[in-house]
Amino acid sequence: MGEFLTGSACFVLAMVALGLVRILRGPADADRIMAPQLLGTGGIAVLLLLAAATGAPAVVDVALSLALLAAFASVAFVLAKGSPAPGKADEP
Amino acid sequence: MSAALILDACLVLLVLAVAVWTIAARETFPAIAGFVSYGLLLAIVWVRLSSVDVALTEAAIGGGATGVLLLGAAARLTDRAGRRPAGIGLRIMAGALCLAITAALAFVILTLPDPAPTLAPQAVAGLPATGVGNPITAVLVAYRGIDTLLEKIVLLLAVIGVWCLTPDDSWGALPAPWGTARQDDAIVLLARLLAPVGVVVGVYIVWVGADDPGGAFQGGTILAAMWLLVMMAGLIAPLPATSRRLRRVLVAGPALFLAVAFAGFAMSGDFLSYPPAYAKWLIKLIEAALTLSIAAMVGVLVIGPAVRKR
Repeated sequence: MGEFLTGSACFVLAMVALGLVRILRGPADADRIMAPQLLGTGGIAVLLLLAAATGAPAVVDVALSLALLAAFASVAFVLAKGSPAPGKADEP
Repeated sequence: MSAALILDACLVLLVLAVAVWTIAARETFPAIAGFVSYGLLLAIVWVRLSSVDVALTEAAIGGGATGVLLLGAAARLTDRAGRRPAGIGLRIMAGALCLAITAALAFVILTLPDPAPTLAPQAVAGLPATGVGNPITAVLVAYRGIDTLLEKIVLLLAVIGVWCLTPDDSWGALPAPWGTARQDDAIVLLARLLAPVGVVVGVYIVWVGADDPGGAFQGGTILAAMWLLVMMAGLIAPLPATSRRLRRVLVAGPALFLAVAFAGFAMSGDFLSYPPAYAKWLIKLIEAALTLSIAAMVGVLVIGPAVRKR
Protein backbone atom coordinates (compact mmCIF):
# COMPACT_ATOMS: atom_id res chain seq x y z
CA MET A 1 0.00 0.00 0.00
CA GLY A 2 2.83 2.37 0.92
CA GLU A 3 4.51 1.67 -2.41
CA PHE A 4 1.28 2.45 -4.28
CA LEU A 5 0.77 5.74 -2.40
CA THR A 6 4.37 6.81 -3.02
CA GLY A 7 3.92 5.92 -6.68
CA SER A 8 0.78 8.07 -6.80
CA ALA A 9 2.71 10.96 -5.18
CA CYS A 10 5.34 10.51 -7.89
CA PHE A 11 2.67 10.67 -10.61
CA VAL A 12 1.12 13.84 -9.14
CA LEU A 13 4.57 15.43 -8.92
CA ALA A 14 5.29 14.58 -12.57
CA MET A 15 1.99 16.20 -13.59
CA VAL A 16 2.80 19.30 -11.52
CA ALA A 17 6.18 19.45 -13.25
CA LEU A 18 4.51 19.36 -16.68
CA GLY A 19 2.08 22.10 -15.62
CA LEU A 20 4.91 24.17 -14.23
CA VAL A 21 6.77 24.07 -17.56
CA ARG A 22 3.73 25.51 -19.32
CA ILE A 23 2.98 28.11 -16.63
CA LEU A 24 6.48 29.47 -16.12
CA ARG A 25 6.96 29.89 -19.88
CA GLY A 26 4.28 32.54 -19.74
CA PRO A 27 3.93 34.51 -21.96
CA ALA A 28 2.18 36.96 -19.58
CA ASP A 29 3.01 37.51 -15.91
CA ALA A 30 -0.61 36.62 -15.12
CA ASP A 31 0.19 33.06 -16.26
CA ARG A 32 3.19 32.90 -13.96
CA ILE A 33 1.08 33.94 -10.95
CA MET A 34 -0.52 30.50 -11.30
CA ALA A 35 2.79 28.80 -10.38
CA PRO A 36 2.43 29.11 -6.58
CA GLN A 37 -1.25 28.12 -6.95
CA LEU A 38 -0.31 24.98 -8.88
CA LEU A 39 2.43 24.09 -6.40
CA GLY A 40 0.00 24.74 -3.58
CA THR A 41 -2.61 22.25 -4.77
CA GLY A 42 -0.09 19.78 -6.25
CA GLY A 43 2.23 20.05 -3.24
CA ILE A 44 -0.64 19.38 -0.82
CA ALA A 45 -1.58 16.25 -2.79
CA VAL A 46 2.04 15.00 -2.78
CA LEU A 47 2.48 15.72 0.94
CA LEU A 48 -0.83 14.10 1.97
CA LEU A 49 0.03 10.98 -0.06
CA LEU A 50 3.48 10.87 1.52
CA ALA A 51 2.01 11.34 5.01
CA ALA A 52 -0.24 8.32 4.44
CA ALA A 53 2.54 6.30 2.79
CA THR A 54 5.12 6.84 5.53
CA GLY A 55 2.70 7.07 8.46
CA ALA A 56 4.00 10.49 9.53
CA PRO A 57 1.00 12.57 10.67
CA ALA A 58 3.16 15.70 11.16
CA VAL A 59 3.54 15.93 7.36
CA VAL A 60 -0.18 16.77 7.22
CA ASP A 61 0.68 19.99 9.11
CA VAL A 62 3.16 20.91 6.39
CA ALA A 63 0.41 20.39 3.80
CA LEU A 64 -1.85 22.64 5.89
CA SER A 65 0.74 25.45 6.00
CA LEU A 66 1.40 25.04 2.29
CA ALA A 67 -2.34 25.44 1.58
CA LEU A 68 -2.45 28.69 3.56
CA LEU A 69 0.74 30.21 2.26
CA ALA A 70 0.32 29.31 -1.41
CA ALA A 71 -3.00 31.20 -1.35
CA PHE A 72 -1.28 34.08 0.46
CA ALA A 73 1.55 34.17 -2.12
CA SER A 74 -0.99 34.27 -4.97
CA VAL A 75 -2.71 37.29 -3.39
CA ALA A 76 0.64 39.05 -3.06
CA PHE A 77 1.43 38.42 -6.75
CA VAL A 78 -2.00 39.56 -7.92
CA LEU A 79 -1.74 42.79 -5.91
CA ALA A 80 1.79 43.43 -7.17
CA LYS A 81 0.53 43.16 -10.75
CA GLY A 82 -2.84 44.83 -10.24
CA SER A 83 -3.45 48.54 -10.67
CA PRO A 84 -2.33 50.68 -9.00
CA ALA A 85 0.94 48.77 -8.61
CA PRO A 86 2.34 48.80 -5.07
CA GLY A 87 5.12 51.32 -4.67
CA LYS A 88 3.71 53.44 -7.47
CA ALA A 89 0.46 54.31 -5.73
CA ASP A 90 2.04 57.41 -4.22
CA GLU A 91 3.62 58.76 -7.38
CA PRO A 92 2.27 62.03 -8.69
CA MET B 1 13.77 0.53 -8.41
CA SER B 2 11.37 1.57 -5.65
CA ALA B 3 8.73 4.26 -5.95
CA ALA B 4 10.42 6.36 -3.25
CA LEU B 5 13.64 6.48 -5.27
CA ILE B 6 11.79 7.59 -8.43
CA LEU B 7 9.95 10.26 -6.39
CA ASP B 8 13.22 11.61 -4.99
CA ALA B 9 14.81 11.65 -8.45
CA CYS B 10 11.80 13.54 -9.91
CA LEU B 11 11.92 16.01 -7.01
CA VAL B 12 15.64 16.69 -7.45
CA LEU B 13 15.24 17.23 -11.21
CA LEU B 14 12.25 19.54 -10.68
CA VAL B 15 14.01 21.63 -7.99
CA LEU B 16 17.12 21.96 -10.17
CA ALA B 17 15.04 22.90 -13.22
CA VAL B 18 13.08 25.58 -11.31
CA ALA B 19 16.33 26.92 -9.79
CA VAL B 20 18.01 27.21 -13.21
CA TRP B 21 14.87 28.79 -14.68
CA THR B 22 14.75 31.35 -11.84
CA ILE B 23 18.38 32.35 -12.39
CA ALA B 24 17.93 32.54 -16.17
CA ALA B 25 14.75 34.68 -15.97
CA ARG B 26 15.53 38.18 -17.21
CA GLU B 27 12.61 40.08 -15.71
CA THR B 28 12.14 40.59 -11.97
CA PHE B 29 8.55 39.38 -11.74
CA PRO B 30 9.01 35.94 -13.38
CA ALA B 31 12.17 35.45 -11.31
CA ILE B 32 10.19 36.06 -8.10
CA ALA B 33 7.41 33.70 -9.25
CA GLY B 34 10.11 31.07 -9.90
CA PHE B 35 11.76 31.69 -6.54
CA VAL B 36 8.50 31.30 -4.58
CA SER B 37 7.77 28.05 -6.48
CA TYR B 38 11.29 26.92 -5.60
CA GLY B 39 10.61 27.62 -1.90
CA LEU B 40 7.36 25.64 -1.94
CA LEU B 41 9.15 22.73 -3.65
CA LEU B 42 11.93 22.82 -1.05
CA ALA B 43 9.30 22.22 1.65
CA ILE B 44 8.56 18.86 -0.01
CA VAL B 45 12.32 18.13 -0.26
CA TRP B 46 12.73 18.70 3.51
CA VAL B 47 9.83 16.32 4.17
CA ARG B 48 11.63 13.67 2.08
CA LEU B 49 14.76 14.31 4.19
CA SER B 50 12.64 13.62 7.33
CA SER B 51 13.13 17.20 8.57
CA VAL B 52 9.49 18.13 9.06
CA ASP B 53 10.37 21.11 11.32
CA VAL B 54 12.56 22.58 8.59
CA ALA B 55 9.83 21.85 6.01
CA LEU B 56 7.35 23.90 8.04
CA THR B 57 9.83 26.78 8.31
CA GLU B 58 10.61 26.63 4.59
CA ALA B 59 6.90 26.64 3.69
CA ALA B 60 6.28 29.63 5.97
CA ILE B 61 9.35 31.69 5.03
CA GLY B 62 9.92 30.57 1.42
CA GLY B 63 6.26 30.47 0.44
CA GLY B 64 4.91 33.35 2.50
CA ALA B 65 7.27 36.05 3.69
CA THR B 66 10.01 35.97 1.04
CA GLY B 67 7.63 36.40 -1.90
CA VAL B 68 6.04 39.56 -0.50
CA LEU B 69 9.43 40.87 0.59
CA LEU B 70 10.90 40.42 -2.91
CA LEU B 71 7.83 41.90 -4.61
CA GLY B 72 8.11 44.97 -2.35
CA ALA B 73 11.82 45.24 -3.12
CA ALA B 74 11.14 44.97 -6.87
CA ALA B 75 8.52 47.74 -6.65
CA ARG B 76 10.96 49.99 -4.78
CA LEU B 77 13.75 49.21 -7.28
CA THR B 78 11.76 50.32 -10.31
CA ASP B 79 10.71 53.41 -8.38
CA ARG B 80 14.25 54.63 -7.89
CA ALA B 81 17.28 54.87 -10.18
CA GLY B 82 17.15 52.92 -13.45
CA ARG B 83 18.76 49.52 -13.41
CA ARG B 84 21.76 48.72 -15.55
CA PRO B 85 22.31 45.09 -16.56
CA ALA B 86 25.38 43.62 -14.87
CA GLY B 87 28.54 43.55 -16.99
CA ILE B 88 30.03 40.29 -18.22
CA GLY B 89 32.89 40.52 -15.70
CA LEU B 90 30.52 40.82 -12.74
CA ARG B 91 28.47 37.90 -14.01
CA ILE B 92 31.53 35.67 -14.35
CA MET B 93 32.63 36.68 -10.83
CA ALA B 94 29.17 35.91 -9.37
CA GLY B 95 29.08 32.57 -11.19
CA ALA B 96 32.58 31.66 -9.99
CA LEU B 97 31.67 32.57 -6.38
CA CYS B 98 28.50 30.44 -6.49
CA LEU B 99 30.46 27.55 -8.02
CA ALA B 100 33.13 27.81 -5.31
CA ILE B 101 30.50 27.75 -2.53
CA THR B 102 28.71 24.78 -4.14
CA ALA B 103 32.02 22.92 -4.53
CA ALA B 104 32.97 23.60 -0.91
CA LEU B 105 29.58 22.41 0.36
CA ALA B 106 29.71 19.30 -1.86
CA PHE B 107 33.23 18.55 -0.61
CA VAL B 108 32.17 18.82 3.05
CA ILE B 109 29.10 16.60 2.54
CA LEU B 110 31.02 13.97 0.56
CA THR B 111 33.91 13.77 3.06
CA LEU B 112 31.66 13.40 6.14
CA PRO B 113 32.67 10.31 8.13
CA ASP B 114 30.17 7.46 8.07
CA PRO B 115 28.17 7.52 10.37
CA ALA B 116 28.18 11.33 10.51
CA PRO B 117 28.94 12.84 13.94
CA THR B 118 25.66 13.58 15.73
CA LEU B 119 24.39 14.82 19.07
CA ALA B 120 20.88 13.48 18.38
CA PRO B 121 21.06 10.59 20.95
CA GLN B 122 22.10 13.03 23.70
CA ALA B 123 19.33 15.46 22.67
CA VAL B 124 16.72 12.71 22.93
CA ALA B 125 18.21 11.37 26.20
CA GLY B 126 17.79 14.77 27.88
CA LEU B 127 14.14 15.19 26.84
CA PRO B 128 12.51 13.97 30.10
CA ALA B 129 14.23 16.78 32.05
CA THR B 130 12.65 19.44 29.79
CA GLY B 131 9.15 17.94 29.71
CA VAL B 132 8.75 18.57 25.95
CA GLY B 133 8.56 15.75 23.42
CA ASN B 134 10.03 17.44 20.33
CA PRO B 135 13.85 17.32 20.51
CA ILE B 136 14.11 20.35 18.20
CA THR B 137 12.04 22.52 20.56
CA ALA B 138 14.21 21.24 23.43
CA VAL B 139 17.38 22.26 21.55
CA LEU B 140 15.96 25.68 20.62
CA VAL B 141 14.49 26.75 23.95
CA ALA B 142 16.31 24.60 26.53
CA TYR B 143 19.76 23.26 25.55
CA ARG B 144 20.72 26.14 23.30
CA GLY B 145 18.32 28.72 24.72
CA ILE B 146 21.03 31.38 24.65
CA ASP B 147 21.30 31.11 20.83
CA THR B 148 17.55 31.52 20.41
CA LEU B 149 17.49 34.45 22.82
CA LEU B 150 20.27 36.24 20.96
CA GLU B 151 18.65 35.39 17.59
CA LYS B 152 15.45 37.15 18.67
CA ILE B 153 17.45 40.19 19.75
CA VAL B 154 19.15 40.19 16.33
CA LEU B 155 15.67 40.22 14.77
CA LEU B 156 14.82 43.27 16.92
CA LEU B 157 18.01 44.95 15.68
CA ALA B 158 16.92 44.16 12.11
CA VAL B 159 13.58 45.87 12.77
CA ILE B 160 15.42 48.94 14.09
CA GLY B 161 17.67 48.83 11.03
CA VAL B 162 14.67 48.85 8.67
CA TRP B 163 13.06 51.71 10.58
CA CYS B 164 16.34 53.66 10.32
CA LEU B 165 15.86 53.71 6.53
CA THR B 166 12.76 55.91 6.93
CA PRO B 167 13.34 59.40 5.51
CA ASP B 168 13.15 62.13 8.19
CA ASP B 169 9.97 63.75 6.89
CA SER B 170 7.94 60.53 6.78
CA TRP B 171 8.80 59.25 10.28
CA GLY B 172 5.57 58.02 11.81
CA ALA B 173 3.81 57.89 8.45
CA LEU B 174 2.05 54.72 7.29
CA PRO B 175 4.23 52.52 5.12
CA ALA B 176 2.73 52.91 1.64
CA PRO B 177 1.37 51.08 -0.39
CA TRP B 178 -0.10 49.18 2.53
CA GLY B 179 -3.50 49.89 3.95
CA THR B 180 -5.11 51.46 0.90
CA ALA B 181 -8.68 50.23 0.70
CA ARG B 182 -9.17 47.78 -2.15
CA GLN B 183 -12.18 47.56 -4.34
CA ASP B 184 -11.40 43.98 -5.43
CA ASP B 185 -14.12 42.06 -3.63
CA ALA B 186 -12.40 38.71 -4.20
CA ILE B 187 -9.32 39.67 -2.19
CA VAL B 188 -11.40 41.20 0.64
CA LEU B 189 -13.52 38.03 0.78
CA LEU B 190 -10.41 35.82 0.78
CA ALA B 191 -8.85 37.87 3.59
CA ARG B 192 -12.04 37.60 5.65
CA LEU B 193 -12.26 33.82 5.14
CA LEU B 194 -8.61 32.80 5.16
CA ALA B 195 -7.21 34.98 7.96
CA PRO B 196 -9.27 33.48 10.84
CA VAL B 197 -8.45 29.95 9.63
CA GLY B 198 -4.79 30.93 9.29
CA VAL B 199 -4.64 32.35 12.81
CA VAL B 200 -6.00 29.07 14.21
CA VAL B 201 -3.46 27.08 12.15
CA GLY B 202 -0.62 29.36 13.32
CA VAL B 203 -1.52 28.94 16.99
CA TYR B 204 -1.95 25.19 16.44
CA ILE B 205 1.54 24.89 14.90
CA VAL B 206 3.03 26.64 17.95
CA TRP B 207 1.04 24.45 20.35
CA VAL B 208 1.97 21.08 18.78
CA GLY B 209 5.60 22.30 18.66
CA ALA B 210 6.06 20.96 22.22
CA ASP B 211 5.70 17.34 21.15
CA ASP B 212 5.60 17.27 17.33
CA PRO B 213 7.20 19.28 14.53
CA GLY B 214 6.22 22.94 14.81
CA GLY B 215 7.17 25.85 17.03
CA ALA B 216 7.20 29.58 17.65
CA PHE B 217 9.04 30.59 14.47
CA GLN B 218 6.87 28.59 12.07
CA GLY B 219 3.63 29.57 13.81
CA GLY B 220 4.72 33.19 14.17
CA THR B 221 5.50 33.46 10.46
CA ILE B 222 2.07 32.06 9.56
CA LEU B 223 0.46 34.63 11.88
CA ALA B 224 2.56 37.35 10.23
CA ALA B 225 1.37 36.20 6.78
CA MET B 226 -2.25 36.46 7.92
CA TRP B 227 -1.62 39.95 9.37
CA LEU B 228 -0.09 40.97 6.02
CA LEU B 229 -3.02 39.44 4.12
CA VAL B 230 -5.57 41.50 6.07
CA MET B 231 -3.49 44.63 5.49
CA MET B 232 -3.09 43.87 1.77
CA ALA B 233 -6.86 43.59 1.49
CA GLY B 234 -7.11 47.05 3.08
CA LEU B 235 -9.22 45.80 5.99
CA ILE B 236 -6.84 47.25 8.59
CA ALA B 237 -4.14 49.90 8.33
CA PRO B 238 -0.50 49.01 9.10
CA LEU B 239 0.88 50.28 12.40
CA PRO B 240 3.44 53.10 12.07
CA ALA B 241 6.90 52.76 13.63
CA THR B 242 5.87 55.23 16.36
CA SER B 243 3.04 52.99 17.59
CA ARG B 244 3.59 52.14 21.30
CA ARG B 245 1.31 49.09 20.97
CA LEU B 246 3.42 47.66 18.14
CA ARG B 247 6.65 48.29 20.03
CA ARG B 248 5.32 46.54 23.16
CA VAL B 249 4.43 43.43 21.12
CA LEU B 250 7.85 43.50 19.40
CA VAL B 251 9.69 43.56 22.73
CA ALA B 252 7.33 41.26 24.71
CA GLY B 253 8.86 37.93 23.59
CA PRO B 254 12.56 38.73 24.03
CA ALA B 255 11.80 40.59 27.30
CA LEU B 256 9.92 37.63 28.79
CA PHE B 257 12.66 35.25 27.61
CA LEU B 258 15.28 37.46 29.28
CA ALA B 259 13.21 37.71 32.49
CA VAL B 260 12.86 33.91 32.70
CA ALA B 261 16.60 33.57 31.95
CA PHE B 262 17.50 35.84 34.90
CA ALA B 263 14.88 34.21 37.12
CA GLY B 264 16.89 31.02 36.52
CA PHE B 265 19.47 32.35 39.03
CA ALA B 266 16.82 32.39 41.77
CA MET B 267 14.93 29.23 40.74
CA SER B 268 17.73 26.79 39.94
CA GLY B 269 20.95 28.65 40.39
CA ASP B 270 21.99 29.48 36.82
CA PHE B 271 21.25 31.77 33.88
CA LEU B 272 18.59 30.26 31.56
CA SER B 273 18.10 27.09 33.61
CA TYR B 274 14.54 25.95 34.17
CA PRO B 275 13.47 24.09 37.32
CA PRO B 276 12.48 20.61 36.00
CA ALA B 277 9.06 20.74 37.67
CA TYR B 278 7.97 23.82 35.65
CA ALA B 279 10.27 23.40 32.61
CA LYS B 280 7.51 22.54 30.13
CA TRP B 281 5.24 25.38 31.25
CA LEU B 282 8.06 27.91 31.16
CA ILE B 283 9.06 26.72 27.66
CA LYS B 284 5.47 27.02 26.40
CA LEU B 285 5.12 30.47 28.01
CA ILE B 286 8.31 31.68 26.31
CA GLU B 287 7.19 30.16 22.99
CA ALA B 288 3.78 31.86 23.24
CA ALA B 289 5.31 35.30 23.89
CA LEU B 290 7.97 34.75 21.20
CA THR B 291 5.26 33.80 18.67
CA LEU B 292 3.56 37.19 19.01
CA SER B 293 6.87 39.05 18.80
CA ILE B 294 8.05 37.01 15.79
CA ALA B 295 4.75 37.63 14.00
CA ALA B 296 5.14 41.37 14.60
CA MET B 297 8.84 41.34 13.60
CA VAL B 298 8.31 39.42 10.36
CA GLY B 299 5.32 41.65 9.52
CA VAL B 300 7.26 44.88 10.14
CA LEU B 301 10.30 43.60 8.21
CA VAL B 302 8.17 42.65 5.19
CA ILE B 303 6.22 45.93 5.16
CA GLY B 304 9.48 47.89 5.22
CA PRO B 305 10.05 51.54 6.09
CA ALA B 306 7.58 54.33 5.34
CA VAL B 307 8.27 55.86 1.94
CA ARG B 308 8.83 59.56 1.28
CA LYS B 309 5.69 61.49 0.47
CA ARG B 310 5.93 63.37 -2.78
